[in-house]
Amino acid sequence: MPYKLVKENHFILYKGIIIEPQIRDFFIGRIWTRVNTPFPQEKIEKYKEQNYFNKKPGISINRSIGIFNRKRYKCNRCHNEQQNEFVQYDCARCNKTCVYCRHCINMGRITSCTDLLLWNGPKPKVKKTHELVWSGAFTDLQSTAAQQLIESLKENRNHLLHAVCGAGKTEILFPAVLYALKKGWRVCIATPRTDVVLELFPRFKKVFPKTILHSLYGNAPSHPGYPQLVIATTHQLFRFENAFDFVIVDEADAFPYTYDRALQKAVLKSKKVGAPIALVTATPSAKILAQMKREKWGYSFISRRYHGHPLPVPRLEPLWSYNKIIQKGRIPKKLLDWTTTRLENKEPFLIFFPTINLMENAIPLFQQLDKKILGVHAEDPERKGKVLKLRNEEIPGLLTTTILERGITIKNVQVAVVGAESKIFNSSALIQISGRVGRNVLFPSGEIVLFHHGITVEMDEARNEIIRFNKEGFRMEAK
Amino acid sequence: MKRYETRNCLLCNSSLNEPITWKLFLTNTFPKTICLECEQKFEFYNPSQQEEQDIISLYKYNDMMKDFIHRYKFMHDVILAKVFRQQIHEHLAKTKAIIVPIPIHPEKLKERTFAHVDQLLKEANIPFQHYLEKITTDTQVGKTRQQRINSPQLFRTTENVDIKGKEFLLVDDIYTTGTTILHAKTTLFKAGAKRVAAFTLIRG
Repeated sequence: MPYKLVKENHFILYKGIIIEPQIRDFFIGRIWTRVNTPFPQEKIEKYKEQNYFNKKPGISINRSIGIFNRKRYKCNRCHNEQQNEFVQYDCARCNKTCVYCRHCINMGRITSCTDLLLWNGPKPKVKKTHELVWSGAFTDLQSTAAQQLIESLKENRNHLLHAVCGAGKTEILFPAVLYALKKGWRVCIATPRTDVVLELFPRFKKVFPKTILHSLYGNAPSHPGYPQLVIATTHQLFRFENAFDFVIVDEADAFPYTYDRALQKAVLKSKKVGAPIALVTATPSAKILAQMKREKWGYSFISRRYHGHPLPVPRLEPLWSYNKIIQKGRIPKKLLDWTTTRLENKEPFLIFFPTINLMENAIPLFQQLDKKILGVHAEDPERKGKVLKLRNEEIPGLLTTTILERGITIKNVQVAVVGAESKIFNSSALIQISGRVGRNVLFPSGEIVLFHHGITVEMDEARNEIIRFNKEGFRMEAK
Repeated sequence: MKRYETRNCLLCNSSLNEPITWKLFLTNTFPKTICLECEQKFEFYNPSQQEEQDIISLYKYNDMMKDFIHRYKFMHDVILAKVFRQQIHEHLAKTKAIIVPIPIHPEKLKERTFAHVDQLLKEANIPFQHYLEKITTDTQVGKTRQQRINSPQLFRTTENVDIKGKEFLLVDDIYTTGTTILHAKTTLFKAGAKRVAAFTLIRG
């Protein structure tokens, strides 16, 4: 068979592009809108043409099974399926009726006509040289827990780390995180609270000096590079998909994580299929415990604090119709006595109130005792500064709502809860509040008083749980 | 009209608990969309302070309103147009003048995906007609007072409309320096309008 020589040698244009590492590092593992990226739009379009991105519609529409065959929407960013959170409107861009999701609208609106991009290009090389620079020592209980966590990782199963407040939970995570990083895994530590992210980030940065780690929360500054360790609020996980090999959820019982199903879905979505999750909490809900048993998770329980002293048990103290008395412009006698004792002994104190309203009525009354007493609530812009002032002993005490129930450590702090019978103080909140007391080795005990207008089941439950922890911790030592 | 469009407050997401009353069935009021606490955070604009005639504004531009406008206009939460429909309806339903919303540029419309003033009127069941077109794409946001006042003409009349001898009521979301309203007014007057008044939701 005669061969025909190809005379026309067409110039084959090389159509590939060299991928910029910034773009790759940013998009890998993320799910992001087509517009509003931190990069120029032309570049994104070019990468899209070259098939470096997979495209997904912002909202997918399914038909429900049944006689009505109604449309069911699902947001592909936050995986929200609550139908009342979707709004139909006449879109002027497409000239038809489009739908948007109100659930995640604070992160920029996702409509059925927006495209979401997923990285489809090459992956960066991951470093496997990581180092843990930490000179602290574990107690026996801590080191067993750390070992159990690594065991679970090896077996690729989920893990529940149940440890009382002040047991040194963060430190227990260090060996497991190091193990995962050394395997070249991408690790995420997620928590429902921004305050916790802000507290964890510097600590992890210090002990993992050779690792690139990013902190993500609303309005966080952007960092360069491909992070192998991400510390983020659970809300930020809406923006990740199929990204992590290991996810740790810290304070897994905090609001709004337990309450918002979409956040729990976000955690599942952000991890790779089959990747393990570790939940870390002091007060696991019955639901989590049941799930743990059913699905045979790894479980470690630490019932003693790192310094070995028992947890302070809350004292119940009736404070009848405190609400009326405060509204009349007086501090109830018992509370007044308690506060003056704290002022005389120069001990820092926290007083928790059930509502912002009641707290604001009480602030001027307390300021008559000492001008420097301040109040803090969730919408307070100076909230970080005020807590810092208390820690630095610039002010004698703080009045607060439940926002300070977890994540803060103040030396020798004494705590009172006013209106402990209120709905907002459930047993896990009360256990967390009691956990603020006696965290320091030098001051292992302290006062925790629940002032109430009638004892509730939740208060009893919290008290019994703390007593049980103490008993259990003691029994372990007897062994 | 649906009696319940939302069971939760559109602004703070707490449940509304609106009781079912005869009034709700028998009169033609819109069902509530925001809770009482959110409603109380909006301040009414006091009409006695009004400097210029013919301009009616409903609310002050306080922090709550700032947040509302941010969510509605810039985060594009279209459903928030329902929040003030009752008040807008009460003020505009009986007017005899032709209601003309301040238009936005077609390019801007593509970007925003909805015309914010039109949407407010639609939700309030107020019929309106477009007699104006916006020429420029630049907005008043980020300009100083002087720059705003000295900006070139922003509007022109749409073709093939009869304006001569008619009464108009311009509608906009917010009145700050009055430049937008002034430009729209002069455009209509030049085309032969008899009388032009204005209505804005907010007075900045």
